[in-house]
Amino acid sequence: MNMPEIVGLFFKASLLLFFILMVVLILTLAERKALARIQQRKGPNRVGFKGILQPFADALKLLTKEDILPASANKQIFWVAPLAVFLPGFLIWVTIPLAKEVVLANLDMGLFYITAISVLSVMGLLMAGWGSANKWAMIGGLRAAGQLISYEIPFIMAILAIGILAQSFNLKEIVDDQAQWPFAIKQPLGLFIFLTAGLAELGRTPFDIHHAESEVVGGPFVEYSGAHWSVFYLAEYMNTFTIAVLTVLLFLGGWQSPVLPFSGTVQTVASLSWFLIKTALVIWVIFWIRGTYPRLRIDQLMSFGWKILVPASFINIFLTASVLYYALPHWVITVVSLGFLGATFYFIKKGSLAGNKQDTVTIINSSDIRAQLSNKAEV
Amino acid sequence: MKIQNPVVGFINGLMVTIRSTLRRPVTAEYPAIEKRLPLSNRFMGFPALTWDYDIEEPYCTGCMVCVRECPTQCMSAQMKDNPQHEKGLSRRRKIIESFEINLGRCILCGICVDVCNFDAIEMSHEYELSKYQRNANRVNLNQLLDMGVVYQNKLQWTPKQPQKNSGIPLPPKQSEDSS
Amino acid sequence: MQVHQQVSEYSDAIDLMVNMGPQHPSTHGVFRLVIWVDGERIVKVEPHIGYLHRGSEKICESEQYSQIVTLFDRLDYVGNLNNELAFCLAVEKLTETVVPERAEYIRVILCELNRIASHMLFYGVYGLDVGATTPMLYGFRERERVQELFESVTGARMMHNYIRIGGVKEDVPDDFDKNVLILLDHLKRGVDECDRLLSQNEMFLARTKGVGIITGEDALDYGVTGPALRASGVIEDVRVTDPYSIYSRFDFGIPVGSNGDCWDRYYVRVEEMRESIKIVEQAISDIPDGDISAKVRRIIRPPVGEVFVRTESPRGDLGVFLVSDGSDKPYRVKVRPPSFANLQALEYMLEDTYIADAVLVLGSIDIIMGEVDR
Repeated sequence: MNMPEIVGLFFKASLLLFFILMVVLILTLAERKALARIQQRKGPNRVGFKGILQPFADALKLLTKEDILPASANKQIFWVAPLAVFLPGFLIWVTIPLAKEVVLANLDMGLFYITAISVLSVMGLLMAGWGSANKWAMIGGLRAAGQLISYEIPFIMAILAIGILAQSFNLKEIVDDQAQWPFAIKQPLGLFIFLTAGLAELGRTPFDIHHAESEVVGGPFVEYSGAHWSVFYLAEYMNTFTIAVLTVLLFLGGWQSPVLPFSGTVQTVASLSWFLIKTALVIWVIFWIRGTYPRLRIDQLMSFGWKILVPASFINIFLTASVLYYALPHWVITVVSLGFLGATFYFIKKGSLAGNKQDTVTIINSSDIRAQLSNKAEV
Repeated sequence: MKIQNPVVGFINGLMVTIRSTLRRPVTAEYPAIEKRLPLSNRFMGFPALTWDYDIEEPYCTGCMVCVRECPTQCMSAQMKDNPQHEKGLSRRRKIIESFEINLGRCILCGICVDVCNFDAIEMSHEYELSKYQRNANRVNLNQLLDMGVVYQNKLQWTPKQPQKNSGIPLPPKQSEDSS
Repeated sequence: MQVHQQVSEYSDAIDLMVNMGPQHPSTHGVFRLVIWVDGERIVKVEPHIGYLHRGSEKICESEQYSQIVTLFDRLDYVGNLNNELAFCLAVEKLTETVVPERAEYIRVILCELNRIASHMLFYGVYGLDVGATTPMLYGFRERERVQELFESVTGARMMHNYIRIGGVKEDVPDDFDKNVLILLDHLKRGVDECDRLLSQNEMFLARTKGVGIITGEDALDYGVTGPALRASGVIEDVRVTDPYSIYSRFDFGIPVGSNGDCWDRYYVRVEEMRESIKIVEQAISDIPDGDISAKVRRIIRPPVGEVFVRTESPRGDLGVFLVSDGSDKPYRVKVRPPSFANLQALEYMLEDTYIADAVLVLGSIDIIMGEVDR
């Protein structure tokens, strides 16, 4: 590798970092605005036109805040942890294509690389939990470890099924394979597993157990402030974007659209925008879910993961593989997959989660009670 | 109530939130003066002293009943002989000389207004407490009267017992005596 | 020392002792819960109270009767009007004052609206405890409407000082009836919406069903009252079983649970909001004209004696015990706050639960620290 190439790569990486930062800034604003609308509020509306500059104000404020190091914290681990969370999430981006030609390095084992790297961020959360020397942070860190590692399995399995279906681990080829039918139609079960496990990986509502504000007071991030805290949130929003992008790439056909009559640069720009629109939709769904659902408990999360999602993801792989092996038509996957999706909900309903479910609250009329009381008084 | 299918529960929740997303926000942008929520006429803000426009003096005669009845003892007052009365310009024999309320202590209960015999104190529509200095919430007579004037003008305030509490001097009593 | 001796019995199982509170976001004020945990499982809890102690009961002894109403506003600062009512009823019973009809109706309407506002706050905060952010805002949206009405009637949004001994402070404004009906219309839809958002959600059910169970007998033994007791299947509502004011005239339902778990406690409150709406509807249609206050002296000197009055506040059985020595200030005022008694059962309810449940169980008994510590 000669000097210009290294410089070029460095330049590309900086560009990517800049892009990610911009996306994160936009996402923070978008999330606050979306949640505000869901809750019938106005959201940030002071800085700039309708609050558009709010994320910059926030970033400035966070960067100028004091970085507090707790007295009994383990200094090295405490300071390194935010980076250990951020870096794996960032490294994933090396191989994610945003359009046909917009990618840093199109790896042949792209999906494999993504799954391998993304697991590493657990370490960072554990380090943060341990390094802060705070009991809530420790509990949060351990919760994060348990949650992320167990949801890693259905997550990877869902990806694997896509690899089998597309006969490739190269993200570009996977997208090309969806020119006719997006994989969401072929694998609704896979999409369900991927999104659920993805949300759990992100630690977003309803799976925000490791930094649950009302339980562990922010989990591993309790003791962080200022720039280091902001790195955690940078990582969180970056990962949200990653999951949304991966959903679009793997299930919603990436930049493939029914009609794209352009060619050359125009086509690249058009397909990029089409891709970003799809991503925005997925992100809106994530925000929508965040605005609607309560949080699960850690043991329920685990039992949901291991008893429902993991078996379902194995079924998904088995189904995909056998359809391909026996060269059956692809609609078979769709039908059987839908069936299993229904079965999954059936099992959720069957009460693996909520114990006894019957009509427990009855309304007794006051006149009945009065009659009873007067009877008693007479006796 | 019957507990439904989980899918119904999930979707119900999503429908509720998406429906309210399409509604107008219910919040008001507080510090902007024109966007605040309107106060109702009965709103009880901090107590303020009223001003008698007929003869340009406060209604308050410094009788101290509010000071005594205040549950938090946040007030103090002093009275003096009314110079206007000596000149025959006012019916009030005594008038307030100094009045101080520690608004940081005031609990906005309105008892002072209830007990006042002279319609001299009212719960104004002031409610903002933040100040830059310590003890800056102690307000003196002039500030209280200013608050009162704002309140009176806003609500077109009139005393509840105009006959009894008007400051306009009574006609000379000779006629009554002679009759 | 005692604590450590007790804990040493469990020492094999204990991993960690954590302080939940007094500065924890979900302890509803300044409540401190010391939790010994084994992993995520709670081995033992020890509630600590007193961080908000203001000596209200003692202050009452140096205030005149009319001034004490303001102190009662600040006990349960979410159900203010109900607290005022309890004290006024006690003094009225002691002085044998007959309250005019119109005042009674106004009191009942406002108290029931206050109950709805209080339960709406519970709903919102409970949503936040479970981890959903939106219920909080919806609950406050509805509560705001009630408070707007309060502002137009009493002049204050929370600390009203409106219910006075012998009646109420002043008559309601002219458009009161109309405003209440509009408000009820909004509230009906609001309660339904809140109900749809959270009650049926599978995750919410999973979190709350079968968590923090207390049986009816145990609840009675602990002195639990109000919605928390009714959720355990005991039919006990002071408004019906020992009626005060004019509650015996109204026809309404008492929601009663059967499991005594968090979900029942939650849902009993949601249903109670609907029943309160019914009471207000009946009251607003029968409200008579007339005086709004009995003739009472400004400085009240009740005869020597003592009196106990219990009312149904949004949190449960609120009792006021009043001893008078014939002067203008009470000799002793004792408040029996429902939150305090309900809180005693917390330790029992938290047996064999998880850390995350501690938040939920604490939320489901809906404590107000101002009332617990007084």
